[in-house]
Amino acid sequence: MKHSFIDRYAALDSPLHLLDARTKLLGFTVLIAAVLLIPPGKPFAYFAYFFLAAVLMGISQIPLVYILARTLVILPFVLLAGLALPWRTGAGWTLFNTLVARSSLCLIILILLTNTTRFAELLRGLRRLGCPRILVMNLGFLYRYIFVLTEEVLRMRQARDCRRVGRAHAAAEMKLLGSMLGTLLLRSFERAERMYQAMLSRGSSGEFPILAPREFSWRDLAFLAGLAVFIWAAGLLA
Amino acid sequence: MHIPDGFLSNRVAVAFDAISGAGIFLSARRMKLEASARIVPMMGVLAAFVFAAQMLNFPVLGGTSGHLVGGALLAILLGPVAGVLTMATVIIAQALFLQDGGLIAAGANIFNIGAITVFSGYAIFRLLWRGAGSGKRLHIAAFAAGWISMMLSAAACAIELAISGAIPLRLGLPAMVGYHAVIGIAEGGLTAGVLAFLARVRPDLVEAPRKARLSAPEWAGALVFVAIPFLILALAGSSALPDPLEALIESGSAVSTGAVGIQTLLSTVRFREYFWEILALIALIFCMFLAGRIFHSRKAHR
Repeated sequence: MKHSFIDRYAALDSPLHLLDARTKLLGFTVLIAAVLLIPPGKPFAYFAYFFLAAVLMGISQIPLVYILARTLVILPFVLLAGLALPWRTGAGWTLFNTLVARSSLCLIILILLTNTTRFAELLRGLRRLGCPRILVMNLGFLYRYIFVLTEEVLRMRQARDCRRVGRAHAAAEMKLLGSMLGTLLLRSFERAERMYQAMLSRGSSGEFPILAPREFSWRDLAFLAGLAVFIWAAGLLA
Repeated sequence: MHIPDGFLSNRVAVAFDAISGAGIFLSARRMKLEASARIVPMMGVLAAFVFAAQMLNFPVLGGTSGHLVGGALLAILLGPVAGVLTMATVIIAQALFLQDGGLIAAGANIFNIGAITVFSGYAIFRLLWRGAGSGKRLHIAAFAAGWISMMLSAAACAIELAISGAIPLRLGLPAMVGYHAVIGIAEGGLTAGVLAFLARVRPDLVEAPRKARLSAPEWAGALVFVAIPFLILALAGSSALPDPLEALIESGSAVSTGAVGIQTLLSTVRFREYFWEILALIALIFCMFLAGRIFHSRKAHR
């Protein structure tokens, strides 16, 4: 069963992947904030950030097609929401362009963040940045259970399809769907309870240890310094 | 309903980041991890469930998008504190993995989709249910909790977008609330269905929130918590201007007095004006659903 739809390229080995998760979390958050702080109607500053995004994409070795496809999934929502802007008087188009440029830049940066950091590293980074333990733990559970749930649903669907021919009436179909959902929920609860008991009885503290974690090094320092210089220079353009 | 980065004015986004961040830390402190061996695994599973349910996403014209939320269900099954934490987890995961909702806008998203649905859903459920077992009362209370909490959440989202100057309230509020009044029926139905099922097969799971109830001062705190960001924005003034051009172009530069800010905020939030528009929209969407249903059944008969 195939399930790598979330962070498919997180395990590559590019210079960006080698950075400490904290560096990337902080650096990319600052980058997004910097993009949001550009005043509308300054196209050169946006071009500068698009250029930076392109450079980062190149360094990260993630296929361009993948990033574009991910962006295109969200972009229609942005376009639709901004649809009313060009019809306003005066700077309507400027606002629309600003909105689209901002949103797509932020999207690309977020895609880069999750696809250059393995999930366990990301959690460790969040934890070391002071995120509450229960939140980080819950994120870890969520990530793992998504795949478990997907497999469970596929198994249940297969079982259903093996035992019937054609489609039932709409009402019967809804009833079937409802009981499948309920069963799924119950099975997952019970599985989770068993797993948590197993974790506790093996002395788990709620932290997930990882092998060979990335540590803060001269690379991270160079990355952050470069980012700071770039944001300062782009600020001159704006 | 997830707001991407770039839609909220920076002042609005940061105000909500601050308030949601504080809320998460307070909730995390209140939850005693060691004492809640039952609730932690459930939080994880429910987070994954809600994450999956919210992936069913439909675009809304003039608003952003609509989907099932699950906040009321979380509140009823986990209690408000764990419910808010679980929803915050889901929203952070969505921002990171699906890029659904922005990173800087995450505070506002956690506020709308998390805090508002969980607190209001919990309050509505408790008010209507009153511990009356698993009969009809439970169905009605759960349905109302799901339905109403979703509309409140959509209204908060529309108000934030309007005071940021991205989407005028005249367009955003009826679109968002009207649309979610329809999706909310599915949300309410699902909340009631899942709860009724669980009350039948695992009544212990539905019993739990009775023990996790909030005290009166905590309720007051939650109410203040929900009101704070709007107050901050009202006092901050300039970004609360309803005109998007002025708000975006002058963002950060103009400083006006608090009184003007509150005035503009109040004049922005006049729900009565939109009553007929919302009603018309609901009627329209119902007709569309009905037409689709008839068309579908005719095709099936052929």
